[in-house]
Amino acid sequence: MEIRLHGRGGQGGVTCAKILAAIYARLGRSVQTFGDYAGERSGAPVRAYTRVSDQPIINRNKVYEPDHLVVLDPSLLGHDVIAGLKHDGTLLVNSDDEPENFDTDFRAFKLAAVDATGIARKHGIGTRSVVIVNTTIAGAFAKLHGLSLDELHEAYKSLGLGSNFPAAKEAYGAVKIVEADSDAREAVEAVLAAEAAAAAEVADEKRQILPLTEHVESAPTGLKTGSWTARKPSYVQNLAPCNAWCPAGNDVVEFIQAVAKPNNEAEASKILGRSTPFAAVCGRVCPAPCMEGCNRREYDGSVNIRGLERWIADAAPVAIAKEEIVPQTNQKRIAIVGGGPAGMSAAYALAKAGHKAAVYEGEDKLGGVLLTGIPEYRLPSKDLDREIDAILDLGVESHCGVFLDANSVADLAAEYDALILSTGLQKLRDLEVPGSKLEGIEQGIRFLHRANLEGNVELSGHVVVLGGGNTAMDCARSALRLGAESVTVAYRRSHEEMPAIREEIEEAANEGITMLMQRQPIAFHGSGKVGAVELAVVELGDPDESGRRAPIVTAQSSQLDCDYVILALGQSIDYSRIPRDWEIKGESVNTGNDSQFVFAAGDVATWEGTVTHAIGSGRRAADMARAAFGEDLNIFQRPDREKAVPVTDIRLDHFLRSDATLDRLEPVETRRRSLVEANQGLPDAEESHRCFSCGHCTACDSCLVYCPEGIINRRSGGYEVDYSFCKGCGICVEECPRKAIEMN
Amino acid sequence: MQEPVLEGCFKTDQELTDPLLRPGNTNCGGCGMSVAWNMLSHARGKHELQVVIPACCGIVTAGHYPVSSYGAPTVASTFASSAAVAAGLAHVMEMNDENKRAVCFAGDGGTYDIGMATLSAAAERNDDILYICYDNEIYGNTGGQRSSATPLGATTTTTPGGKKLQKKDITAIMAAHRIPYVASVSLAHLEDTRRKMQYALETRGFRFLHVFAPCPTGWKSEQAEGIDLIRMAVDSGLFPVMEIFDGVTTQINIEPSMSDEALETYFSSQGRFKKNKVDIATVRAAIDANWARLRRGVS
Amino acid sequence: MTVQLISANHAAAMAATLAGRANRNARGFGGGIYPITPQTECIELLAKQEFEKGGVIPVESEHSAMAVCMGVSLGGARSFTASASNGLAYMAENVVAAGMYRLPILMMAVNRTLGPPWNIWVDHGDTLMLRDSGWMHIYCEDNQEVLDSILFGYRLAEDPRVLLPIMVCQDAFVLSHTMMQTDIPDQEQVDRFLPDLDLPHRLHNDAVTVGGLDFPHETEVHRAQHQEAMDGVAEVYAEIQDEFEQIFGRRPADRIVPYRMEDAKYAVVSMGTTALTVRVAVDAMREKGIPVGAVRMRMLRPYPEKEMIEALAGCEKVAILDRDISLGHGGVLWSETRGTVPPGCVVQGTMLGLGGGDIRPQHIEEVIEDLLERTEDGSPVIKEVM
Repeated sequence: MEIRLHGRGGQGGVTCAKILAAIYARLGRSVQTFGDYAGERSGAPVRAYTRVSDQPIINRNKVYEPDHLVVLDPSLLGHDVIAGLKHDGTLLVNSDDEPENFDTDFRAFKLAAVDATGIARKHGIGTRSVVIVNTTIAGAFAKLHGLSLDELHEAYKSLGLGSNFPAAKEAYGAVKIVEADSDAREAVEAVLAAEAAAAAEVADEKRQILPLTEHVESAPTGLKTGSWTARKPSYVQNLAPCNAWCPAGNDVVEFIQAVAKPNNEAEASKILGRSTPFAAVCGRVCPAPCMEGCNRREYDGSVNIRGLERWIADAAPVAIAKEEIVPQTNQKRIAIVGGGPAGMSAAYALAKAGHKAAVYEGEDKLGGVLLTGIPEYRLPSKDLDREIDAILDLGVESHCGVFLDANSVADLAAEYDALILSTGLQKLRDLEVPGSKLEGIEQGIRFLHRANLEGNVELSGHVVVLGGGNTAMDCARSALRLGAESVTVAYRRSHEEMPAIREEIEEAANEGITMLMQRQPIAFHGSGKVGAVELAVVELGDPDESGRRAPIVTAQSSQLDCDYVILALGQSIDYSRIPRDWEIKGESVNTGNDSQFVFAAGDVATWEGTVTHAIGSGRRAADMARAAFGEDLNIFQRPDREKAVPVTDIRLDHFLRSDATLDRLEPVETRRRSLVEANQGLPDAEESHRCFSCGHCTACDSCLVYCPEGIINRRSGGYEVDYSFCKGCGICVEECPRKAIEMN
Repeated sequence: MQEPVLEGCFKTDQELTDPLLRPGNTNCGGCGMSVAWNMLSHARGKHELQVVIPACCGIVTAGHYPVSSYGAPTVASTFASSAAVAAGLAHVMEMNDENKRAVCFAGDGGTYDIGMATLSAAAERNDDILYICYDNEIYGNTGGQRSSATPLGATTTTTPGGKKLQKKDITAIMAAHRIPYVASVSLAHLEDTRRKMQYALETRGFRFLHVFAPCPTGWKSEQAEGIDLIRMAVDSGLFPVMEIFDGVTTQINIEPSMSDEALETYFSSQGRFKKNKVDIATVRAAIDANWARLRRGVS
Repeated sequence: MTVQLISANHAAAMAATLAGRANRNARGFGGGIYPITPQTECIELLAKQEFEKGGVIPVESEHSAMAVCMGVSLGGARSFTASASNGLAYMAENVVAAGMYRLPILMMAVNRTLGPPWNIWVDHGDTLMLRDSGWMHIYCEDNQEVLDSILFGYRLAEDPRVLLPIMVCQDAFVLSHTMMQTDIPDQEQVDRFLPDLDLPHRLHNDAVTVGGLDFPHETEVHRAQHQEAMDGVAEVYAEIQDEFEQIFGRRPADRIVPYRMEDAKYAVVSMGTTALTVRVAVDAMREKGIPVGAVRMRMLRPYPEKEMIEALAGCEKVAILDRDISLGHGGVLWSETRGTVPPGCVVQGTMLGLGGGDIRPQHIEEVIEDLLERTEDGSPVIKEVM
């Protein structure tokens, strides 16, 4: 019996031949085994042979007409391999395919297939790139040839391969065998004969071997080493964490990469414009979850993404040209109730898609909480107006100063092709404690509304702000600017749990605002007007459903004298302004009438309370409306943060450590009593160069430089791999600083 | 990192059309020697080279006469002879006023071991040769035997119990010849590699580059991780990246962070160190002693 | 032309110098040199010479000396080195390499006993060890022949039909250090005799790898081509003899040199300076009426089989003298030549002067007398020449 094995350098074909020989030797047969030795390396095709006989073996030739073939690498399977195989011979192939799916040419023989690579990999035999399949496929051979598992085990032990036996055993059980298809025999014989004749002709030509004394021309080998492996790299775009974290769906990594190029703010602005009309707003007031997700965070500090967004928006305001508006053949009218960030974002998205949006706003101006709730020193009205105007420029209708009750909302839904409800959180949380009706206690939202729109606020003395969110910070810092001599913020949880933006808390503290943590107001004291607030000490218990530690009010309390109290304790939906039978579920609204398309956006839909969430939600509601109109589009959905490139996939060695460029702040002395914008943003866009560009190729050339074969070439902004030579080593993947190439 | 790497200057038209090591060679996937060739292709610029390669993987990869994987006129020399053959070539270039460069490209076996006398003699004569040793710390071509470049602890087919001896300090040996230029080269540090190769090509007289070249097959490591292993070797202080001018002036080019984590990962990522555990503390002490010696020599 | 009283070592150096200078308009001259007794005089004199283009490089070993020659030759220049004995043994790997690369390198080899024990005197065993390395071998008998054979050797080696390296061998001390009048040609004559070397397979600008790998079949063909070049040497050799004669006025000897063989029934075959001593003995025996002649093997590779058969055609008994021993068999010349004698001819091999013993005419006469008594072939014998 003569067996020929076909494998690739590194797979262990020669050892496999030796294992087969060892098994038969144990059965008392004469055996002989040897490999073809050549200069080729890991991955190149190699052959090995095993002879088994009852007589002493004297043949020293290679095997040209094998009884059995073992093919260790499925990519080697071709006519040249089966040429010479005896009619009643067997063909064993390492393949994850079913034997029935093989070409009829191979079905002409008794055919067995086993996924030796998969099994060997599972058992950890070899390395990731070079899986050693020899010991595994020998198990399948044993099954195919009726050898017992015990014999196999003994042979493995005798060769010191005992630890590989479990893989062999698995292959023994997993191999699938089909009998020869005699009908296929004749056809394949004819093909093989023709090919052999052609090969002989070529061989004759090749016999012209030049003398070493000849002057020869330079000629490459022409060896297509790409056939050595099926593993190939390909360029991909992976989700950057900043993109994954951005609730508005901004393509953060792309706008940063765009602004990293010199004088390219307009391009960066266009990228922002795809997802948000509020880049200047977000560049000032966004809590920037993107920076929380930034892979640079733990390395040397997150990229100052918010600062860069502001830089872009200020340098090149997002502006959609008329010609960029999609011509809409099926134009619809959409009513948007509430002109805050969610409603305006929805209007923006719909207008860009060529629809007619009409915004209904109770205030006299559009902007919602951006206008009424965020103080001037943080968001100058000119910057907000600029972005609102740009939205209106797209042809969005506005109906301001129109207060709609639930019935009018229902009417609008009937009148328009669709309605988007974006009324925000209108109901303010009150504090039901003794003395809460005293004069000098005001809701923060009202206080800010007065300060922003009415300009009739004058304060003095000591102001106490209750709450720990952004509204609390805005109130506290505004109070300082509006005449308060001193301001104290009292919050029931600890500093870490304050929901306000970190920088806001820090800047408030820098401005001299006192932070009193773990204090719960239990009463207000005063005659007619508030003169003191009584604060109980709070202890923190186990985390509640919000993940924050639950406050436990203790019996210990103290009085804090004050002249004014501002409540910033949170807001909720005012359901009285929504038709009673409407059921809001995220952006979907069930009105009970299938012919009506009503959606919700912003806090009324998601209750998440930030401008960036509102933008994303508005965009999603607009997409849902368009889908309802029958348009074919992918409805915006926040990316799955789990899918973002983790920092462990970033080659940190490729990046020098450098501190983030921080925003320029007005000095505390000048800003704490003035409404001038406290934060002056970045001085330039240099910060963009710190971006890792996670999952997004920057054409950095690392792959090209390190490719050992030198076969990665630049092609129109990206790269191209010459797969005909690629040996699949994966250095390009490994050396990619940002996970923009993957092996497959 | 500058992006694109080195301002995108890699892969010039010349590198595309005339790489020194062409695709279609038979080196293993992930071969560090191949990467070294690419770096040299890039660094050579307009220099015309005549290359001598002794017995090693480097010549096996050339293929069968008359085709060749090499993009420059190349001689396959006997194992110990590359520096002497190159001396002959350089001699003829000089007498014919040809502004070319004779380059030896040899493995650690052909450099540290069998070719040492030839190398030393050519260095002593200050022959006009650029000698590049791609050191993969093993006789790779014959399937993985120890050489005097094999490090302490590495298991090879001829040190089944792990090598009990230190590797030779080749840069010190070459510096002791007071040749114009000796440099150690980390393939993980592009800018430094390019600068050294360019300098070595420009300089005349005997120049020696010690390139630490990963060998996934011999090191039993992942093909993809070779460059990263070099990075770890540098970062841990195991492989000092430096240059020595005229055997006198020593400069450290990459300051290692002396990271123990890098050192441990370096050893644990390679199968050759698995069977016979390397005592990291011993290696660390040897590294520290080596650096103390190097620091004394730094001017 | 000037006649000078010089040693054969110096004759070799002078010839190499003339040949080296003759290539000044082409790619010049070079080689690696390394001392070993008894050829050191040669490289010392060569190191003193000035070349318009080129010069020799003192290296650290014979192995590198030949490697430098290969580099020089691959660069397209003419190259030369000299060695002897254990130096040749150390060089052997690169001697083979130069042969297989078919580089027309010329090496002057002084035949010296291989040690240990150490012995500096003549024995042909060192170059015969390199018999199968793909080189041509010429063995000289006198000072003039050494000089002429080096010039002749370059012309032969560099002929585009040949392109093979050549060893010009001479006996230690007996020849290498023996001074005799030697006719030294003018540079102008040598320039006319030796054309500029234009080696087709030298390194050009093409990205070609000299060497690389061979599969079995490729080696078969390369060996066949090498053999074919060897086979063509006889014809080229004859042409060069004519040209040499025209230019220098002397005709270099044939590949084998018969002496009084016209009517000889008995012959003595030998190599190197022994052949001169043989002639003295032949003359003495002829005086006694014994029809004996002599054949000198000048070129051992390629082996001049046809000429040898013709020369020995009328012989009844042939003595073959070796100053070498293939241990476990006999003399190399004996083993190679005994098949060329006519049918029925008695052949006796004798190894004498091993390790540099002074072979005198009476030793040869004793060999001839012994031969005359033999009626059949005997095992080769070692004859001591104390």
